[in-house]
Amino acid sequence: MAKPKLITLSLCVALLFGAAACGPSIVLQGVDYAQPIESVLAPDANAEVHDQRYAVKFTIAPVLEEEGASSVDEIRLIRNSAGYYFLTAAGFNNVYVFEPGESELSLKRKIEISASGLQQPAFNQRDGHIELVDLGTGNTYNLDQSGRR
Amino acid sequence: MMKAMKTTISTLAALMLFASGSVIAQQSDYQVQQDFRADYNEITERINNAESSDDVSEIAGMIEQFEADYSGYETLLNAALYPETFQNRLTVLRTNLAGTERDFNTINELNERISELQADIDEMRSQLAQMDEDSEALRQRLERSSANERRLSGLVTQYRQNIESRDEFVSDFLENLLNRYQAMDSQTQSELAEASESMEDDPLALLRTILSEYINQADRDSGLDAPDYLRMRAQHAYFVTVWDRIGENMSNTYASDSPVQARQEITDLLAAWQASVDNKLWNALSTAFNQNGIELPAFTSADAFNNALNSFVDNAISTAREQNEEADFQLYESFSTYWNGTVKSDWGEYLTTSNVLSQGQIAAIDVKLGDWARSAEPVSNLMFILFLISLAVIIGLIVLLVTKKS
Repeated sequence: MAKPKLITLSLCVALLFGAAACGPSIVLQGVDYAQPIESVLAPDANAEVHDQRYAVKFTIAPVLEEEGASSVDEIRLIRNSAGYYFLTAAGFNNVYVFEPGESELSLKRKIEISASGLQQPAFNQRDGHIELVDLGTGNTYNLDQSGRR
Repeated sequence: MMKAMKTTISTLAALMLFASGSVIAQQSDYQVQQDFRADYNEITERINNAESSDDVSEIAGMIEQFEADYSGYETLLNAALYPETFQNRLTVLRTNLAGTERDFNTINELNERISELQADIDEMRSQLAQMDEDSEALRQRLERSSANERRLSGLVTQYRQNIESRDEFVSDFLENLLNRYQAMDSQTQSELAEASESMEDDPLALLRTILSEYINQADRDSGLDAPDYLRMRAQHAYFVTVWDRIGENMSNTYASDSPVQARQEITDLLAAWQASVDNKLWNALSTAFNQNGIELPAFTSADAFNNALNSFVDNAISTAREQNEEADFQLYESFSTYWNGTVKSDWGEYLTTSNVLSQGQIAAIDVKLGDWARSAEPVSNLMFILFLISLAVIIGLIVLLVTKKS
């Protein structure tokens, strides 16, 4: 009696997988999300930034909290070819790598750059990576979503 | 030891050079884009505020430098400027600069035209003043020399020539104005109007001066005759024709604030000039005909003059038909000689161009003169006498034949 039930259950599971496999499943490969130039955005009173050019809007309050800063004049934001957002600002110790999701940006990685804080950070889109330049110190860092390269 | 120091110094120098090169090599693409936009805006502002051709040349150099500075970032800038491009922005700058340059060229051309015009006006004023001075001197000599008839005649001729020269000079000036302003479009008018604001003198003022002097000339009693006043009226008619064609354009150009008033001023002066000429002309014409034994009815206008001529000829024809006397034929001969020998041949052109008589009116008088000639010609009795002689001879021969037979 137990054997026919197991067979029936197995058949149902197989049918379910088969139905899922037959559904719409197009995947576009090789998408390049790279922004050619970083966006420099000034947060408003609610710590929200709005990038008009690339049509993205979010709050940086959790990042400020993480950095122990009450506010910043402007943040630097760039998206690499894989689609991850890199965010930092003058005075930050870290670069934050966010992965976009449905109505959210979730932290993928926090890359520590300088214990004393960046002076004049700037992102550049480079072939295969994001270049972080601290114009104040002259230091350059090559980054991707995994961390420093 | 020394060698070791030298090696250390060289190594330090190389390290410093590398370090400084590394600092120089640091750049922010965002900053490049911002610098590009700032430089672009600065050049655009310089183009908008350019004040001279020298500024244009300087800005052209800036654009060259701008292109040299940023051509290495063309790909980056194309991405940053999308949907515009680096080359597109360069083209915009060069096009705008070319437009500014064209504006300056137009302004320079206008300034040159204004300078030429100013020089022409100064020259005109100077020559007219000299002619008016000569004319006035001659007129005063005419007044003083009334005792000596021969000398007086010479002075009148000289005075007349002076007036004719002035008329020719003014006609050339009017012809020049006609060429300049007749086909002038409204854009050129407004450009010239703006440029002419700096002029101390303008053609309208010069026209007013010319007209005032014409009025003075006509008002003076200077021993001039009918043909002189006919020529004045012809000159007036030419002036009116020219003014009708260029008055509006000139007023819009040189009196852009009140063009209607400016036109009216000239129109009023033209009317005053004609009144002054007419005031002398009809008397002079009447006197001229009277001096040749032709007593025309009184007239004070061109139409009345034509009516007076027709009335005189019609009456003469009627009288000749009724009386057919020698005196009628003499009057015809007198009128015909004066009409054909003086009025038509010497004054004909002025009569028509001054609108005193038209070609048709002159031709009508000519036709009537033919009728007058036929009516005034004395009828001959020779044929009647010959007829009587012939009749007497025939009767005589018949009587002779009858007498011989019997």
